[in-house]
Amino acid sequence: MGTTPLDISKLTLVQALDLAVLIEEEARDRYEELADQLSLHHTPEAAAFFKKMVGIEEKHRQALADRRKKAFGDQKRTVTRDLLFDVEAPDYDEARVFMSVHEALRASLRSEEKAHAFFADALGHVKDPEVRHLFEELKAEEAQHQTLVKAELAKLPAESKVNPLDYSDDPVGED
Amino acid sequence: MEAKDYKSSLKPIWCPGCGDFGVVQGIYRALAAIGRPPHEIAFISGIGCSSRIPGYTTAYGFNSVHGRSLPIAQGVKLSNPELLVLCAGGDGDGFSIGGGHVPHAVRRNMDLTYIVMDNQVYGLTKGQLSPTSPRGLKTITSPYGSLEDPINPLLYVLAYGCGFVAQATPADMPGMAAVIEEAIRYPGFSFVNIQSPCVTYGEDEQQLTEHKKMMKPLKSLGHDQTDQLRAMDLARAYGKELYTGVFYKNPNPPPTYEAMVKLRQAEQAKGARPRERVLDMYLQK
Repeated sequence: MGTTPLDISKLTLVQALDLAVLIEEEARDRYEELADQLSLHHTPEAAAFFKKMVGIEEKHRQALADRRKKAFGDQKRTVTRDLLFDVEAPDYDEARVFMSVHEALRASLRSEEKAHAFFADALGHVKDPEVRHLFEELKAEEAQHQTLVKAELAKLPAESKVNPLDYSDDPVGED
Repeated sequence: MEAKDYKSSLKPIWCPGCGDFGVVQGIYRALAAIGRPPHEIAFISGIGCSSRIPGYTTAYGFNSVHGRSLPIAQGVKLSNPELLVLCAGGDGDGFSIGGGHVPHAVRRNMDLTYIVMDNQVYGLTKGQLSPTSPRGLKTITSPYGSLEDPINPLLYVLAYGCGFVAQATPADMPGMAAVIEEAIRYPGFSFVNIQSPCVTYGEDEQQLTEHKKMMKPLKSLGHDQTDQLRAMDLARAYGKELYTGVFYKNPNPPPTYEAMVKLRQAEQAKGARPRERVLDMYLQK
């Protein structure tokens, strides 16, 4: 618990499912935070995209939570969010004032890659066969999400060469 | 307690990408690991972007006066030693405006944790030179580049005998949260310098992506955290190397100021005049 890193090798299936739910919850909440930040700082298009990601991550979370409930009912949860550090949640420094939708999508892509890497790494430690099966499945899903984000990126109009920061007031303290 | 129990409903207004977003998360995690309920925690800060941090927690908070967080935090601790007292601010707040308070807080050794979010610039006031800005930095107040060397926060507190000195970066969230937790658990004055980049006025090489490449955890170097002289030697690399983790932890922490005050009060209470006879001192018999 607390700031002690999670020991993946000892996870049971119910703990692994709870962890998967919490990973999606963490991502959902982070997208919500980033959307709020960008709305506050006059970057509405990227904020709207992150808001959309809130809904997507919540959908993933709910599906996993339903699956957990079906398999284990109301069995007490023994893993907490405090064991996770930004598994699928975009890093805070991914957000920038005036970031474009392209940049927001790329941030999202990096988060999916991060989650994929997490499950790939975890599979090197997991011993329980059921947990292995679950993590294989989740890893494949993260790869599929990357494909979806890339497809969304491809649908966007060509990225503007204009840097909005070149046309905004310079911060007072800079040249 | 979980980290979410320490998060207030107030939404941070820092610039998107600010390092302080990670720092407050690290503080939530550390507090959850410690497990004290929010009403037993007092969080004191000065003025600046980072000094907004108490408001983003559910602890009692005081966003106080520029550079005066340490005197206020010490007053809080002394009047209620049972409280867990955290103190936070930026490098300007701590080492320029409040610089004179730091050595006295260190030598007084109250059991509180001082977290400095060091971004090497005055961010809130739009990017002026700060006490930890590197030599040569161009800002609105140093248009041709700073002619001064920065203050070295790590060496500064080590030189005054600080019993716990650490450095962290939000680029390593688990490491940062662990260091804050360890600092809070240390029975005495503890200092954590967090390299928390300013995305608006900070230099590119000070951003978290660079931190990820350049940070060197002291644990991985086999550093003995009880070796004060070695800690000072490593601290000299401030601004050149990004060492993270605990530089120094006194293996034999001395009694805290508040513990000694309590002892003094107990000693003096023995010879104290009973309340009903206090006026006898002023009455002629």
